[in-house]
Amino acid sequence: MSRDFDVCIIGSGAGGGPIAYSLAKAGFSVLVLEKGPWLKEQHFTKDELACCRRKVYSPELKDEQHVIEESDDAGAWQATATAQSGWDFWNGNCVGGSSNFMSGYFHRLKPVDFKLKSTFGAIEGANVVDWPIDYADLEPYYDRVERLVGVSGKAEAHANAEPRSSSDLPYPPTVEHPISGRIDEAARTLGFHALRVPRAILSQPAMGRRACEYSGFCGDFGCSSGAKGSSRAALLDHAVATGRCEIRPYAKVFKISTDAKGRISSVDYFARDNSMQRVDARIYVVACQAIESSRLLLASVGPRFPGGLANNHAQVGRNLLFSAGGAGSGDMAFADHDEAATMSLRQVGPFVNRALDDWYTFSDPQLGQVKGGIIEFLWDHPNAVVRAENAKWRNGELVWGKPLKRQLETWFRTDRTLNFEVFNDWLPNDNCFVSLDGQIKDRWGSPVAKVRIGAHPHDLHVGRLLADKGEQLLKQLGARRIASSVGPAPPPNLQAGGCRFGDQAEHSVLDPDCRAHEVDNLFVSDGSFMPTGGSVPYTFTIYANSFRVADRIIAQLGGGRSEGT
Amino acid sequence: MIRRTKPGTSATDIAFSVKGLRAELVSRRRFLIEAAGGSVALLFGLPNMAGADDYDPWPTLGAVLEHLLPSEPDSPGAKEIHALDYLRFVVADTRVDPEQRNFILQGNRWLDDLAREKDGRPFLELDFDGKDKLLRQVTRSSAGENWVSTLLTYLFEALLTAPAYGGNTDRIGWRWLQYVPGFPLPGPGTRYMELPL
Repeated sequence: MSRDFDVCIIGSGAGGGPIAYSLAKAGFSVLVLEKGPWLKEQHFTKDELACCRRKVYSPELKDEQHVIEESDDAGAWQATATAQSGWDFWNGNCVGGSSNFMSGYFHRLKPVDFKLKSTFGAIEGANVVDWPIDYADLEPYYDRVERLVGVSGKAEAHANAEPRSSSDLPYPPTVEHPISGRIDEAARTLGFHALRVPRAILSQPAMGRRACEYSGFCGDFGCSSGAKGSSRAALLDHAVATGRCEIRPYAKVFKISTDAKGRISSVDYFARDNSMQRVDARIYVVACQAIESSRLLLASVGPRFPGGLANNHAQVGRNLLFSAGGAGSGDMAFADHDEAATMSLRQVGPFVNRALDDWYTFSDPQLGQVKGGIIEFLWDHPNAVVRAENAKWRNGELVWGKPLKRQLETWFRTDRTLNFEVFNDWLPNDNCFVSLDGQIKDRWGSPVAKVRIGAHPHDLHVGRLLADKGEQLLKQLGARRIASSVGPAPPPNLQAGGCRFGDQAEHSVLDPDCRAHEVDNLFVSDGSFMPTGGSVPYTFTIYANSFRVADRIIAQLGGGRSEGT
Repeated sequence: MIRRTKPGTSATDIAFSVKGLRAELVSRRRFLIEAAGGSVALLFGLPNMAGADDYDPWPTLGAVLEHLLPSEPDSPGAKEIHALDYLRFVVADTRVDPEQRNFILQGNRWLDDLAREKDGRPFLELDFDGKDKLLRQVTRSSAGENWVSTLLTYLFEALLTAPAYGGNTDRIGWRWLQYVPGFPLPGPGTRYMELPL
């Protein structure tokens, strides 16, 4: 049977890029369908309006949105459309997906993350399971990502360091801010260990990409130098260069069609002119980011799948994960520093690159031995308008005129805010899942995803313990106005789960290779596969697993045809 | 920022005790506008006092902006950052919520009507204290507070976003607040409305 392509990948972010790269390099024909535009280095500037106020890299919510179900004070679930709330769950719809806008904090998972159930036991109200693979199965792929995507840093021995097959990271650390040394010292004083954070940012030119130019504007911004290891810059550009990978932007897939045997027969999408198009392939890969991947499968009903593709065991969309934790801040007041120290505090560009993982697992008097997480330190986001916004209120009343101007001067000129962010496991539970909304549709007429975002109370307890440690370090640094917040609201940009992998079709959507149990020509390669999320940002693990899945797809297609990966 | 937060719940917000305020205001504004059938008149608690159809909102808006961010010898105000021109750009920009664009213009009209009702004169003709008093009175209603808050937001955009968008002339806002912008900055051809989206 003639097929248009060997592999059709839906979504071009961190889940799709490694498949496109590996398969194209291995000699297969690849089509990548991406809903958004194809922006390149020359289009990305440090533009607060574009990234963060007009949000031009993601859809307008009136056209495409989500419905979020939150628990009210009485414990009932209240649904609110995001066009109403303004709570945006899109994270970047363009070639390369949200990896264009990540900060690139590339921590590996640790071996314990693959064995939460057997290590810590069950937790009531949480669907914790062990992964069907071990850290050792993923380690070679973390190593591959470090080399191909380009990860900078220095592997240093410490108590919780992950086992590595290579002795060090392939690129030296990025230039670091003077505060990093002070964090190291403060941590030592407290008996903590500050580790140097690997970053998916090139510290020197490599692989046809420029090195970081240290503008000080990284997370939320597209990278104009190519140093950030987005799926687009690091992988898709190379895939396209093979001549075997085609990327179609503005292609909004709305249905995956299946035949009477339950195999995928084609993919239907709307092109930029809203015409319906169809394409077929030997293998199909879904990688639209967790919420949208579940949504697409649920919307893709067929003769053998009345409740959605690969969903005959009603598992698709369940056990959605975010990242639990929270954030804290403290102000490094210039008045507490001499002129030279103030100058160094004000430096813009170099990275902080420091985190604490001393409590990755720990013993809690209330909970016993538990899984903890990490605490990441970083300067306050550089955006200016959002900072000014905070200055317009005083005691709950608007301030204007000269008093407002004096307040702006104080907010901008007298200190620099150092933040920390806590990452701990978002326990999978029955109140966190994706379904299709019965009323609201997107601009093409497809039901939007409804997302229930229930968090397990255990997560808040662990997050608070970690936030207290972050506050201790800020205090040791001499920061003023230290505060932190740990709450149940999920960060929309840290999504995983919904199509967990496992050995049994009754309890998982995907097999250990991330192939659907029920559909042998369907793979899901974004963060959807994760049955538990670990306690670090997801992108590195999504990349690594996607390279692993790529190898399985190549094997299913009969092995590589050319130069290999 | 690695974790994107729910609007109004960032650590900075919490540290300065305005937790949730902005998010609440956004939702409250939307709710109120919908409840009032889209009429800002009802929000300000005024009878329908629509004036002549040729009402020009821009002179009053300019005066409000200059009152909210006055010029001083050592620091720029609305005039120096070309805030009114910037607001014209915002009101014409389809990427900005049409409801919000309408809200800016309608709120202005009702401010002027309130000035005539209370003081017998349009806002433009009030002295400094009269303007200040009227604006303070407007902010006692949720909708009025939202209207002033919205104007302050766009003033901040005119003060602190890239000069290519028409405000922040010669980086005057950045220089005043000793703010270091990123690079490259948007310019002709790379402003967001010119991207191949």
